[in-house]
Amino acid sequence: MIAALQILVDAISLGSLYALATLGVGLVFGVLRLTNFAYGDFITVASYALIVPTAGATEIVIGRWPWPFLVTAAVGVVVIVSMTSEYLVFRPLRTAKPAVLMIGSFALGYIIQNIIILVYDGRPKAVGLWPDLGEAIVLSGLRVPKLELLTIVVTLVLVGALVLFLKVSPFGVQMRAASEDFRMARMLGVRANTVIGTALAISGFLAAVVSLLFLAQVGVMSFNMGVPLMLFAFVATVIGGMGSLTGALIGGYILGFASILLQALLPEDLRTFRDAFVFAVVIVILVVRPQGLLMPRAARERV
Amino acid sequence: MTKPLLQIDDVHVHYGRLAAVRGVSMRVDPGEIVCVVGPNGAGKSTTLLATVGVLSATRGAISIGGFPIAGMAPEKVAQLGISMVPEGRHIFGTLTVEENLRIGTYQRPDQRNVERELKRILDEFPVLAERRGTNAGLLSGGEQQQLAIGRALLTGAKILLVDEPSLGLAPMMIERVYDILTGLRDSRGITLLIVEESAERALDVADRIYVMRRGLVELAGTSSELEDGARLQQAYFGFEGEAEGIR
Repeated sequence: MIAALQILVDAISLGSLYALATLGVGLVFGVLRLTNFAYGDFITVASYALIVPTAGATEIVIGRWPWPFLVTAAVGVVVIVSMTSEYLVFRPLRTAKPAVLMIGSFALGYIIQNIIILVYDGRPKAVGLWPDLGEAIVLSGLRVPKLELLTIVVTLVLVGALVLFLKVSPFGVQMRAASEDFRMARMLGVRANTVIGTALAISGFLAAVVSLLFLAQVGVMSFNMGVPLMLFAFVATVIGGMGSLTGALIGGYILGFASILLQALLPEDLRTFRDAFVFAVVIVILVVRPQGLLMPRAARERV
Repeated sequence: MTKPLLQIDDVHVHYGRLAAVRGVSMRVDPGEIVCVVGPNGAGKSTTLLATVGVLSATRGAISIGGFPIAGMAPEKVAQLGISMVPEGRHIFGTLTVEENLRIGTYQRPDQRNVERELKRILDEFPVLAERRGTNAGLLSGGEQQQLAIGRALLTGAKILLVDEPSLGLAPMMIERVYDILTGLRDSRGITLLIVEESAERALDVADRIYVMRRGLVELAGTSSELEDGARLQQAYFGFEGEAEGIR
């Protein structure tokens, strides 16, 4: 019983992290039909914002600030990077085919990675962020690391805030309209640049939060640390149904659950190949429902 | 002579290398109902889309109240009192009826008028008032057409461009939609430019008619001038015979 609960908590926590990352991907896909492969590098940038580039030992600066300042700074840096990318890369390509946009985002991702290598050098860096969060809260045999709890709470709060924003604020309503039918929204006066800029800003915000939670977990940063997270986020978007935010959430949690369950249930010597099994599950889901679990009405009508 | 509200002057539009509209000129005066008729592929919708800035004209000038708008982004054109009710209605199906109606109001400079106008729309379209909170995707075709008209009006538009409003509607609903459209002129002084495939219906509602074919205006005139039908039919079907237009 305790073991099952333990697995459940772990799964919800990992699922939450994936779900946050997936939302960041899904929002931008919704308004821009852009599969943003630079998203993983936005995640990386947030972690690197915590340290200063030096030739010698890693020097943590922002990473030592009290958490409200630290989070604000990391989020700020990624939002700036994200919105600058929109201005310099995605805006000129906006009328191009989705495939061209996607390749543009690949190029952008490589540029960001190489800038990081250039400025910080390519070796992984050990950075202990918020070591206190490693402690566990023990509840009658159930061991919940504070970080897992934090991840779950942060996800709940951010998803709640995002839903509220999209449902209630005039801006959110315009964004939902634009995700459904961009051209029509523009004909009604919805400003394309503002909507796309906001989507990228929110996406950058989520990338920064994912980055900090992930860094606190693993304690090491490297120039391509965001890439696997981005891959999981994309797979989750595809499972959930491209363009549906609820689908994105569900996809993220499915991946989290699949990973943790396989970790617990696979025989010892197969555990190293856990991700291969996770992706096998993904393939099965896509064979059964190629359009994803939830398909947004917008995409259906467009066919 | 009154100043035209909308003037389209020698407009050309290309899809890639294909010329869809090849030098079209039209004018719509304040308070007029003007219909554009013509067979499929004549360039009617293309002309409207170029007018609101969704497609860019490769040549020619477009102006609203004398103000040039060719090449302007659609969201800018929407601020100038011109709004589109597109073919297929393009309702936001995942938004509620009220959210659909409000979409065009957020950028209006005259925010204080919005609530009053919204109330007026809901009074005049009781179906929409009844289903205010439901997802617009669940509305019937006729209800969606009314929603699209209400939504366009709430942008503060003085002139509506309406593309094939009867498409996919039951005959009774078509009549209702046309009653609403012609009513807009009488109750609010709204000017209308309507694309309609049926010449007969156009003769019924329009003050003036443009007949388009193959990207050109073949014939223009007031409804009474075109009433006998022979000239209109010839322009609509072309000189090659009638088989082409009958389908």
